[in-house]
Amino acid sequence: MCSRYLASLLLIGCSVLAGCEREQRAFHDQAPAIQSVSPTSFRAGGKSQPVAKDPEADKYERNAFHISEGKRYYEWYNCYSCHAAGGGDIGPPLMDDRWRYGGEIEQIYSSIVEGRPNGMPSFAGRIPDQQVWQIAAYVRAMAGNAAKTAVPARGDEMKNTKPLTQIPHTPVRTERPKTQR
Amino acid sequence: MNAQRATGLRTVGAIALTLLLAACSGKQAALDPAADQAATIGSLWTLMLYVCGFMYLLVLIFLGNSLWRARHVLSAEPVIHGSQSTAEKPLRMALGGWFGLILVGLLVLSLGSFLIDRSLANARVDDALKIKITAAQWWWKVEYDAETADKRVVTANELRLPVGRPALLELQADDVIHSFWIPNLGGKQDLIPGRINSLLLTPRREGDYRGQCAEFCGLQHAKMAIDASVMKQSDFDTWQQQLAPAAAPSTPEQVRGHEIFMSGPCIACHQIVGTPAAGQTGPDLTHLASRRTIAAGARPYSFEALRDWLRDPQTIKPGNHMPQVQLSDSDLNALTSYLDSLK
Amino acid sequence: MIALASCTVVGCHPSEPNGATQLNTVANPTRPAPGSAPPPGEGPANISVPDSASPPEDGQWTMPSRDYANTRFSGLDEINTANVGKLQLAFTFATGTLLGQESAVLAVGDTLYFVTPYPNILYAVDLNAPGGGLKWKFDPKADAASQGVACCQPVSRGPVYSNGRIFYNTTDAHTVAVDAATGQLQWKTRVGDFNYGETFTMAPLVVKDKVLVGNSGAEFGARGWLAALNASDGSIAWRAYSTGPDRDVLIDPSEFKPFYPQYRGTDLGVSQFPPDHWKIGGGTVWGWISYDPDLDLIYYGTSNPSPWNHEVRPGDNLWTNGMFARDPDDGHARWFYQISPHDLWDHSAVNENLILDMNWEGKPRKVVVRPDRNGYMYVIDRVNGELLAADPFTYITASKGVDLKTGRLIHNPDKIPSQGKVVREVCPNSPGAKDWTPSSFSKRTGLMYVPHNEMCMDWEIKPVSYIAGTGYLGVNARFYPGPGDHIGELMAWDPVARRKLWSVPERWPVWSGTAVTAGDVVFYGNLEGWFKAVHARTGEVLWQFKTASGIIGQPTTFRGPDGRQYVAILSGIGGWAGAIVSSELDERDPTAAKGFGNMVGELKKQSGIGGMLYVFALPR
Repeated sequence: MCSRYLASLLLIGCSVLAGCEREQRAFHDQAPAIQSVSPTSFRAGGKSQPVAKDPEADKYERNAFHISEGKRYYEWYNCYSCHAAGGGDIGPPLMDDRWRYGGEIEQIYSSIVEGRPNGMPSFAGRIPDQQVWQIAAYVRAMAGNAAKTAVPARGDEMKNTKPLTQIPHTPVRTERPKTQR
Repeated sequence: MNAQRATGLRTVGAIALTLLLAACSGKQAALDPAADQAATIGSLWTLMLYVCGFMYLLVLIFLGNSLWRARHVLSAEPVIHGSQSTAEKPLRMALGGWFGLILVGLLVLSLGSFLIDRSLANARVDDALKIKITAAQWWWKVEYDAETADKRVVTANELRLPVGRPALLELQADDVIHSFWIPNLGGKQDLIPGRINSLLLTPRREGDYRGQCAEFCGLQHAKMAIDASVMKQSDFDTWQQQLAPAAAPSTPEQVRGHEIFMSGPCIACHQIVGTPAAGQTGPDLTHLASRRTIAAGARPYSFEALRDWLRDPQTIKPGNHMPQVQLSDSDLNALTSYLDSLK
Repeated sequence: MIALASCTVVGCHPSEPNGATQLNTVANPTRPAPGSAPPPGEGPANISVPDSASPPEDGQWTMPSRDYANTRFSGLDEINTANVGKLQLAFTFATGTLLGQESAVLAVGDTLYFVTPYPNILYAVDLNAPGGGLKWKFDPKADAASQGVACCQPVSRGPVYSNGRIFYNTTDAHTVAVDAATGQLQWKTRVGDFNYGETFTMAPLVVKDKVLVGNSGAEFGARGWLAALNASDGSIAWRAYSTGPDRDVLIDPSEFKPFYPQYRGTDLGVSQFPPDHWKIGGGTVWGWISYDPDLDLIYYGTSNPSPWNHEVRPGDNLWTNGMFARDPDDGHARWFYQISPHDLWDHSAVNENLILDMNWEGKPRKVVVRPDRNGYMYVIDRVNGELLAADPFTYITASKGVDLKTGRLIHNPDKIPSQGKVVREVCPNSPGAKDWTPSSFSKRTGLMYVPHNEMCMDWEIKPVSYIAGTGYLGVNARFYPGPGDHIGELMAWDPVARRKLWSVPERWPVWSGTAVTAGDVVFYGNLEGWFKAVHARTGEVLWQFKTASGIIGQPTTFRGPDGRQYVAILSGIGGWAGAIVSSELDERDPTAAKGFGNMVGELKKQSGIGGMLYVFALPR
């Protein structure tokens, strides 16, 4: 009688724990209020200035919902038409380790919102902030830099890059600008 | 105790009756057919009701008879029947008859189902109105074919049909499997990504009907309805011809709303024919104000409902792909006025 | 029959190039029995170039196509099949730019002129200076942001010379006129708006007193047009759009007489698109223009409709993917013929139209001959727009042929893309059997020298929104080589017999132009960087030189101030096929560069990134 009581208590306890959510889905805007971030860490007066890691921003690249939404918006807003599935085309590749304007999520956010001089349009006012963070999280995922537990495994579309869960982490390296005179 | 039980039984009975009768009429009622296809399925349902109802009645009678006859047996000595007992033969005959009845009943049902399915599948009418419906999470894109490309009508979340004329719906999906079901007009048909399914509807009765997605498709599957209107052919022609472009803004507030729409994120997803907005990933808004509901049935259409939706779509339909865009109250009113003018 | 059908399925080498019956066209195998051109000394029978469109040789090269007929034929014969093996480098010149060099090198007097990709610098190289010195250079200060809306690198196909001035186009949609002697700016006109995806890549053509320029940008939803600027001051004389109402397309029913009934009607450029879609309908004019001075008509093709996803734009999408004949003075259209109605594959119809007079079924006929992206060699009557022939010159699965009675291309119903499905083995792929790279025609051999490719692709369409300034495609594509053991080739095509004579195989797509001389030598370059001289009659490679980077430019030949014959070519890989290399894309993604990522990754090992002018001559 006692063991049966204990067993049912255990069962109920497990069920309760199993009901805990794996992650929160933020449907409302919780975008960090970052205005702009420098593309370089080189600082006059000595002592380099690394990109400030905002924990709110960081959360985006650890959240499966945000990354999968980012993948959807990456296509909806035509990012694909210039950057392909990370291999690049009109714009530079996003899946390698070379970043002209920085590859941290805050810097990617800045590039999307501000635009960049050699052809990246500014999407300020055209893509709402939270969606920009989601897209930036997906861009990080394309280079293997988002949490492996959160990235989508394989898409249905015809792409045939490796699934994002298998892309190795590619540390960011700043690229020297091309010689174009 | 008995009185309470009686009241409880009455309540249960009332609820059951309501639920039962809910399918009998209304704008989302499978048992109130307004089109040939729904009538065909309805007739199959009726056949099933009669056959199974008859069998059920027989079972009840048999059960009742057994209970009645068993009243006295329980208090008596158990009797062992031998194979020569007088109860055997009628029992065997009855069971044999029952078995035969089941066979006949199942045969009738199978035949009925087969014939009806075949008639639904075979119905291909060449001069049908051709409509393409693409389901996305969580809205319906509806496109009407025309002889020249510039007479095509594109709308969202509503289906207008002329009475008496067959309409061939070509069903596709953008992302996951959905299912199209307007109970008054026809049966369900899945919309599967990468595949084109079709559904023929021949409406016979004018009126407004409601359909919805019948295959779980994500967070807002429950709020993915479609408004169907069946109207006279002449009314339908009038509607089809008052196409693009959208009404130009007339009052200063509408002009301001138009500016807000064109300079903000709206144009990246929505289309208003006749303006620079040519987004395809969200519903077409060219004649938004003449629809019965907004957000695929989430709210009946009204100025206030539209404003609430624009203020925060995520509260009304959390998880849907329209983000909340922060607007001041005056901007919000202006934008709503503009969209409300798109009749 | 069964063998043929199963051949098509398995993808092996059918003897018929498209594995299906052809309607009213002559069957043309892709690997025919070798034939030969008429022996030297005799001009070809049955075909010639009208003199008005191709004036006699003067030792210069003043427009990229060499003449209005687009022959790219040079009358110089100092370099010939006997001595071209001794050709050597005369001098080199650094352009200072590292993207695709598509420009032709003009030779006017004793100066060479060419244009680099963005920043679109115009260089004037002095042939009198030993080793070729810089005379001057002109920087138009083009807007850097326009690089973001150039589909296939911000290339330039070259300048044009006329009447003491050099005219050329910039990536940010301006046309400039520069004094040829001093390099001073004469005028600069903003003709398009890159914020709406309009850029320039094409080389202008000067006809009488008008500079003809056409935009690029159908991958961005730009509405296509051809504009004529007054050469004196750069003002816009007329602009003929490729979509929209007749008054924009400059169609006047009293003058417009197309041969086929499907082009007769009012405002077809509106009704053949969904409502309002003609405003973002594409049909840009970024290719070659020809001119017949006798008929006083210009001929050019319009490019693909936008977006690439065809389900967004039902209708024939007039007037995209077709050929116009127009009056150069006022731009009014005379006739039109649509090469790919309701285009499914980005088979832009902007290729060169060679103006030839040939005997057709016993009677002399004025025609244009054009190899198209969709794999057919078209022969079209240039007086009235009647289609005479459309012969496949490559392996085709995308279409079943061209109906000569109605003029319509017949799309293969098995390959029509639909939402969510991947269509496989579509040949030719979107760059086509031959992209913009121009062929040449020899007045001596009567043959066309066509640089073309055999590639196939997988294609998937997705919903796409038009957002000005961003790409408007809606397609994932992945390219791979077609059947056969090589991808590209230089093909010698006999336009009278309508068949291939021989070809020079290339491992990679051929992305350079060609030029042919009276010495019976054909020049072209490949993506590895080899610049080759081929015998114009037999196809034997007589000479080759490895330049530092892949060649996608247009070879030209001229007489220098010292009386010797020189051959010039720009070397610098890029453009659509070479973007993987010089834009440093990542070939781990097969959809990079719209599909080339799957195919040309190896090229990175074989071609460096460069931008250099090479000029060759025989040793003294």
